[in-house]
Amino acid sequence: MTQEIDLSKLAPPEPFDEARDKAQRARLMTVWQEPPGWKIITAVNNSHIGKWYLLTSFAFFVFAGILALMIRAQLAVPNNDLFSQQLYNQLFTLHGTAMMFLFAVPIFEAVAILILPEILGARDLPFPRLSAFGYWCFLIGGVFVCGSILFGVAPDGGWFMYTPLSSNTEYSGLGADIWLLGLSFIEVSSIAAAVELIVGVLKCRPPGMRLNLMPLYCWYVLVVAGMILFAFPPLIAGDLLLEMERAFGWAFFDVDRGGDPMLWQHLFWIFGHPEVYIVFLPSIALIATMLPTFAGRPMVGHSWIVLSAIGVAFLSFGLWVHHMFTTGLPEISLSFFSAASEAVAVPTGIQIFCFIATMLVSKLRPSVPMLFAGGALAIFVFGGLTGVMVALVPFDWQAHDSYFVVAHLHYTLIGGMLFPLMAGICYWYPFVTQRAMNDRASRWAFWLMFGGFNLAFLPMHWTGIMGMPRRVWTYDLSDGWAVLNMVSTIGAFVFAAGFAALAANVLWPRGKAPLVARNIWNAGTMEWSGEVPGKPWGARSIPYIHTRYPLWEQPGLVEQIDRGEWFLPDAEEGKRELIVTDILDARPLYVQRVGGPTFLTLGSAFCLGTVFILATFHLWSLALAFGAGFIGFTLWWLWTGTSEIPERPSKPVGRGLTLPTYAQGNRSPGWWAVFITMTGDMTAFMGLVFSYFFYWTALPDFFPVAAQIPALHWLLLGLGGLIVGWLMSVGARRQLGQGARGTAMALLLGAVLAGFAGLGAWAFAAHEAGLDPTVHSFDAMVWMLVLWMGLHLLLNAVMHVYVAARIWADICNPDYRADLMNLTLFTHFLALTAIVIFILLAVFPMLMGAV
Amino acid sequence: MRHESDKQPGRFGPPGDAPRVIDQGSVWIMVAAPTLWAIHFVASYVLAATWCAKAGPALSEPRWIIVAMGVVCIALIAWLGMMAVRRYGGVFVIFEEITESSERGRDKFIGHVSLLLCVLSVMAIVFTTLPGFMFSTC
Amino acid sequence: MRNAVFLISPLLLGGCAGRHNWLAGAGAEAARIEQLFWVLLIGAVVIWCTIIAAAVYANRRQVDPKLERQARWFIIWGGAVIPTFLVSGLLIWGMVILRDITSDSGDITVRVDGERWWWRVIYDGPDGDVVTANEIRLPVGQTALFRLTADDVIHSFWVPALGGKMDMIPGRETTLALTPQKTGSWGGLCAEFCGGAHALMRFDAVVMEPEDFDAWLAAEAAPAQVAEGDPGLAIFLEEGCGACHSIRGTQAAGPVGPDLTHVAARERLGAGIYAMNADNMARWITETHEMKPGIDMPPYPDLDGARLDRLVTFLMSLDHAE
Repeated sequence: MTQEIDLSKLAPPEPFDEARDKAQRARLMTVWQEPPGWKIITAVNNSHIGKWYLLTSFAFFVFAGILALMIRAQLAVPNNDLFSQQLYNQLFTLHGTAMMFLFAVPIFEAVAILILPEILGARDLPFPRLSAFGYWCFLIGGVFVCGSILFGVAPDGGWFMYTPLSSNTEYSGLGADIWLLGLSFIEVSSIAAAVELIVGVLKCRPPGMRLNLMPLYCWYVLVVAGMILFAFPPLIAGDLLLEMERAFGWAFFDVDRGGDPMLWQHLFWIFGHPEVYIVFLPSIALIATMLPTFAGRPMVGHSWIVLSAIGVAFLSFGLWVHHMFTTGLPEISLSFFSAASEAVAVPTGIQIFCFIATMLVSKLRPSVPMLFAGGALAIFVFGGLTGVMVALVPFDWQAHDSYFVVAHLHYTLIGGMLFPLMAGICYWYPFVTQRAMNDRASRWAFWLMFGGFNLAFLPMHWTGIMGMPRRVWTYDLSDGWAVLNMVSTIGAFVFAAGFAALAANVLWPRGKAPLVARNIWNAGTMEWSGEVPGKPWGARSIPYIHTRYPLWEQPGLVEQIDRGEWFLPDAEEGKRELIVTDILDARPLYVQRVGGPTFLTLGSAFCLGTVFILATFHLWSLALAFGAGFIGFTLWWLWTGTSEIPERPSKPVGRGLTLPTYAQGNRSPGWWAVFITMTGDMTAFMGLVFSYFFYWTALPDFFPVAAQIPALHWLLLGLGGLIVGWLMSVGARRQLGQGARGTAMALLLGAVLAGFAGLGAWAFAAHEAGLDPTVHSFDAMVWMLVLWMGLHLLLNAVMHVYVAARIWADICNPDYRADLMNLTLFTHFLALTAIVIFILLAVFPMLMGAV
Repeated sequence: MRHESDKQPGRFGPPGDAPRVIDQGSVWIMVAAPTLWAIHFVASYVLAATWCAKAGPALSEPRWIIVAMGVVCIALIAWLGMMAVRRYGGVFVIFEEITESSERGRDKFIGHVSLLLCVLSVMAIVFTTLPGFMFSTC
Repeated sequence: MRNAVFLISPLLLGGCAGRHNWLAGAGAEAARIEQLFWVLLIGAVVIWCTIIAAAVYANRRQVDPKLERQARWFIIWGGAVIPTFLVSGLLIWGMVILRDITSDSGDITVRVDGERWWWRVIYDGPDGDVVTANEIRLPVGQTALFRLTADDVIHSFWVPALGGKMDMIPGRETTLALTPQKTGSWGGLCAEFCGGAHALMRFDAVVMEPEDFDAWLAAEAAPAQVAEGDPGLAIFLEEGCGACHSIRGTQAAGPVGPDLTHVAARERLGAGIYAMNADNMARWITETHEMKPGIDMPPYPDLDGARLDRLVTFLMSLDHAE
């Protein structure tokens, strides 16, 4: 069907027919229109979710910014008692937490959800309901974490939550639980967004957009989403360990019970350093997208920018210990990380030089976005240079945890992330609202922000050199830090005034203002092809792309799109449809149907959020009830909105091209989503494996006496059960393929039982060996691995029963069995997890002679 | 036929758009070189950390293992670089962008970026081996 | 709230404003790092100016598409080749300095244990351990090896004027070598957030001539000079202070709080935050949590005037023997 489609030899478009055009537009409108009135909250389309996501992230930014101003007010004069010690500790903890988890990362997702589909000429992302679910999770979790300060129970252990300060319930209270559970919840939604964005870039590109033609923004989104997939899961594993210690006394970080506080630092910074680049790269992506527009020519060194994005992504995973330079690790270990921290400066610098090179060969049109981009360059380059300084171990021994580092990190984040983002806001404002911003006000905002920022943070380098440590709520006049701090405080308020001016400009009601012209900046990328006033469907028809800047290099494209001359100009079946293409060359593979507005995702997010909130207060039975509600809503959503059997196996999509309407296995985005999600899951699991080996390295007596090692025969039996369960799932796929529905259902249910039997054998082995997770880190680690398997088996059971029911209802059948294929993919990962756990529990202790 | 993705999935065989191996013109070559850096980096770190925790302060053996691993990884990257040049037509310096809308264009682009990543990875591996030359004890 | 500090602080302003300064040149390690700092700073300023100048120039000049080839070479040289050489040079230099300033032996050894929120300090004296708190005295020109531990949470030991910092982590011992080169009283801080009163966890690092140091250590090692039947000591014991604090040579042997054997010989009170004088001592006992919020020591607001006076007089008498 899709064999060797030569897109350049397509049938010519049908002559334009106004009546047909009108009818098609009417049908598209019915399908893509969002619900009216208050029901708008059920919307799932990326243009709505993206906007909400963006506004919510900025609301958290304003919240965290107000906390920052409170911090600066407290530090303005020495011996100030404006805020108490206790409140101040909450202020800076929540400032860092909210800025990083509720603004910096979500804003990447917000912007990507908003503009990525349009840049790809797609009508939506591949899983719109998942984005809606992610958004609601983010909102609920964020409000929960931030709201805690109103009740005086905000987390107060620093945004890095170092153990034992955060693990010992004598030193930290409810705030730590709110941090752990609230943020784990948000991390889940970040990973969901990452999965969606990866699949979006890989599989939802317009026909013809080969990898070498893909816009830079898409490269960055792909790279950053991939980084999220490898960076966030270790933190989730860490959160799990920490919360188990806090809630149930499991021995992970308590030195007296064989725990080690350093483990948390590793798990946190394996997340924490890539995080910095997860924040930085998407904003650089915005500059890389805007700069060619204002230069009026393609980016010079497109491939070098791709190189640096990928290079930075990899190297950023080799930096985490540079946050731990002062923990007394061997010098050689520190130096590996110093080396990687220096090396990462090279690809980072290449991007900047590509920008300057592009400016060299063009005449930049002056504009507000370019003003912000220039400010970003000036600030970020300086932050990068101080980054090269603190990457050197001896220098860091002085700078670490001093105000020098505060200055450095704000230079990199505000220069590398906030200013480019502001440029992006000014640039895409007309795209979103189809009105123009007030340029004069924006310029005022820029100069206030730029001046205020430097006034606030440049002196901070010197404050650090004068020896002021971070996170102190007061200091003495005799310390000699008073004048510098006063200057910083004034600067912070000027900076805030600048931001307020910009925010007012963005939020100014412009309902009656004239609409802007189409493609107001004369840009080359697809998102500007949208009609003015905008239509809910995005592109009128999905074009064939064979250049990097289609609006410049494919003359007449916009008119062709408008006339519906390209693909999917219609929605005859009343379904929301996207074209799925292949990874390398974007050949059309099939037409994907995606879900429309629904309450189900809202209910699902609400229940899951409630589970996390209730767990914070240890209200287990209520939490369980809401957990059941979450599963119910989610299954309902999946049952009614995914892998529906199409009314016909293929359909014409225009220009003589006919595409299938169903895909399974790795042709379907769903399969890729499972694959990518499970890659993230395996990364979290690797966090646990790392913890196991970390204890083994750090503790001479990690292994207990032989009698306390779980018995080999029980462990073998357990592994047998789990492997049999896996084989039964794989067998079910084969049986269903051969038409044996009954056997397939039986095998699926049997697989659940076999899996639980295997888990039972493992749990029995641990129990029989007398392992008590509250006694020693070895015991806790063994039980944690069993628990990890158990949590996955629960999920496994729900999914097996779901698929069996789908087979029974004939929604999953020998011809249309995407659900079962996705399920077996999941079980492959489960089997791998089981084997690794077996090696850790049985084989490794044996090799080390502990048995 | 070169591209697996165009094959229809066999009824029970592996489905069609599976990641292609390096020979067939895939994206994997782009991440192969930095992955080698990552492997070398983690191996060096784990070796040093375990050695210092379990064996003792003298680092004579680990230093040479780290350097030797680095040499092996650089050799592998050199092989990848050759692949990027020969199979994909990658070049190091380009004076115009690779915007050809064809499989060849896409291959050249992947080859070129892979080649650049090979160079970056070699640099990063050399950086990782430097501490091996510098420190003789934990 | 902290009026007392406010009142005495002008007195300290004179020579002390730079007592936490990295660039004070008071220690050999700090001096090596300072050398690195100046080179890095000058380099950073030069590079920043060059890049900004390049951007401004690129923006101002007339468009010349023929320059594209040069622009690409500019990416390769400016973005890749030159930075690679610069950072590899810095990396090597940084490692050389790191190797030079670390040491696992010293002329004297000082054990410091981080507590919430004070410092237990133990010297190796000729006759065994000499326990003191919140003040570290060091002989000039000699390398002191600090062996750092923590009891409750992670702290970080930092005397910016002398050199870098090192974390104090429960369950492990870290070491830090510092070689003071200038006599004087330098400021020490906890650099790792340790909850609550982290901001008020300070100490003084007093660098002395070696012979003065030896005399000080001998005096510090001696038991307290307490007269038989001292009424202040009786109050000290009656109020239960001895359950937490030790005064060598008396019955008070509490291991929980700072050792008070020679408390009056210290420059400061409350872990390096208040001048050591009778007024502050009295307030410390009665308004403890106003002086330093969140600490374990309970306040004794009900001590009547006479008893308080005697107790303070007693504590202020815990000085070194003449």
